[in-house]
Amino acid sequence: MDSLKEDLKKQIIEQLNLEDLSVADIADDALLFNDQGLGLDSIDALELIVLLEKYHGIQLTNPEEGKEAFKSIDTMAEYIRKRKAA
Amino acid sequence: MKVIMAYCNLRADECLVNGKVVMRRDAGSEDSWFKQIYKQQELVYPKFYKMDVLSQAGYLASELIKRANPGIMEAYADDEIALVFANASSSAETDRRFVQSYAGGGSPSPSLFVYTLPNIVLGEIAILNKWYGENMFAVLPKFAPGFYLDYSEILLASGSRAVLCGWLEATAGRTDVFLFMVEEQENGTEFNAENLLHLSRTAAAF
Amino acid sequence: MIYIGAEVIVSPLGDNAEDNWQALSENRSGIALVPAAGFNKEDIHLAKITGLSGHLRFQQLVIKALASLEERIDASILASDRTIVLISSTKGALDDNLHDQFSETCTSVMQQFNLSHLPIVISNACISGVLALNVAGSMVETRQYEHVIVIGCDVASDFVLYGFQSLFAVSDKPCAPFDAARNGITLGEGCGAALISATKSVFKNPPLELLTGTSANDANHISGPSRTGEGLVRSVHRTMEKHGTGAEEIDFICAHGTGTVFNDEMEAIAFNRLSLADKPLNSLKGYFGHTLGAAGAIETIVCMQMMRNNMLIKSLGYCDAGTSQPLNIILENGPKKLRTILKTASGFGGGNASLMIRNL
Repeated sequence: MDSLKEDLKKQIIEQLNLEDLSVADIADDALLFNDQGLGLDSIDALELIVLLEKYHGIQLTNPEEGKEAFKSIDTMAEYIRKRKAA
Repeated sequence: MKVIMAYCNLRADECLVNGKVVMRRDAGSEDSWFKQIYKQQELVYPKFYKMDVLSQAGYLASELIKRANPGIMEAYADDEIALVFANASSSAETDRRFVQSYAGGGSPSPSLFVYTLPNIVLGEIAILNKWYGENMFAVLPKFAPGFYLDYSEILLASGSRAVLCGWLEATAGRTDVFLFMVEEQENGTEFNAENLLHLSRTAAAF
Repeated sequence: MIYIGAEVIVSPLGDNAEDNWQALSENRSGIALVPAAGFNKEDIHLAKITGLSGHLRFQQLVIKALASLEERIDASILASDRTIVLISSTKGALDDNLHDQFSETCTSVMQQFNLSHLPIVISNACISGVLALNVAGSMVETRQYEHVIVIGCDVASDFVLYGFQSLFAVSDKPCAPFDAARNGITLGEGCGAALISATKSVFKNPPLELLTGTSANDANHISGPSRTGEGLVRSVHRTMEKHGTGAEEIDFICAHGTGTVFNDEMEAIAFNRLSLADKPLNSLKGYFGHTLGAAGAIETIVCMQMMRNNMLIKSLGYCDAGTSQPLNIILENGPKKLRTILKTASGFGGGNASLMIRNL
């Protein structure tokens, strides 16, 4: 199991107050901002930006950068890896 | 006659609706008092977990009133129920948490910041119920029946047909929440200062 | 008839309504670049009052405005039992006391001016000012009080700035309401005060008429406006209907116009739905920044100066159309007979409020 993805799920649950969810409830490819996925909203998107900095030391300078990156756990993990490699 | 048709009191350890104890706090539980009420009352609204303590208090009390008085809200059009709330501490509880989010080396939290205004609870209730009516939030030194009487008079004379009123003191150290629904009815507990003061102090008999 | 007058503005542009008007007629802005003001020590555009800093500045600003207003009204009014003060503010004296943002100011104001009643604080996000004016008008209409003084006041703070930065809502240049290149708000501080009364003689100078309005919630999102402008449409519609005012009677609209992509777009949609899109329209936030709880009061008072001088003031910061539906944004100052104007406000929590002022 990809530990980065598992960590991400835990961090998201904590940072976004998703109390009624567990790590097992979040599929790697679930669409985070889709109602059928996690149903996150615009404020959650901003908290994800805070999360990236807090847990992964990555800064986003505007929310637009996050749109592609935050589609799913898969895309988030990929984005983190890409930014860290650069 | 303006009457108080339904009311809810949330105190530190108990929750009463229309004067009857609905639930008592489990001191041994890890969950906060408001989470306990949410779970035990089997409410389903995942947004609850994102709300700050003021919004949780307003949400819970208004939902409990609706439950205990089925149909009470449906009698009105979507803009006829006004929301008139007040407290003494404004959003200080959440303000403190927001400051903590950045004061110690972290970053300002957007999800906390959006709750650093006391009227957000009105927005949460309006969103849930799809109410497009009048809103008011006032900061007063203590529960003041006169404020609700005066402002309800104004609202009921200008398009609102019912007023959901609330006193919302919900901080880490204090829970003193009193929500009540004011309507024009033939019979019921009259909406006046004495009754308001009396009902605001409702607590379990033992 | 409900009168509004004895108006005062204390802002970066001056200590009274007349000085503020002078600055506006010269299109001078109170916004300046403040070095290292941001959370990461970035330079941030803010509209701050020179010399207003430190301890008790919120209280001082309120007292200054009320003292100035006092000189413009009959001497017996302030201490009367039939008079009450409403303070509209979002964060009050937050920097002085995070745990109790209002009571010291209310107590001090009551003592200093010998008020009969403790001021009531209305804290309803950015619609507070317009809401407080409406409450004042209604209190006088129903004779709960004879004279109501509205003081809208908010001071700049790191708390609020950092919060808006966390929302990525702070503009990287002076805010540009309705403009195609707009990208956020510019925060400001200030105080606007006015007396509302049914007794014309208590005003030392001629008042105008307040047509009390209404408020309506969007029932959509706690920090973003409705995409259809539902709450604003309902509020304006109800306000106009209350007074039997037709669209053709509105001479000018002072919109909320914060400079965010979403707010200004929402207002454009709402005013089009209301068939008011052709009305000369501006936002005043290019001059004052967004003064939050004070905005509704300060901006309504500026409208009164426009009416007293029969002059439209250009919407500062606007160059190119930036909303999906058209608006008639005022591009240059110019004379216009202003009989009836509409003021609107929208805010966090989904609130929307509106009122009208009529020239006498």
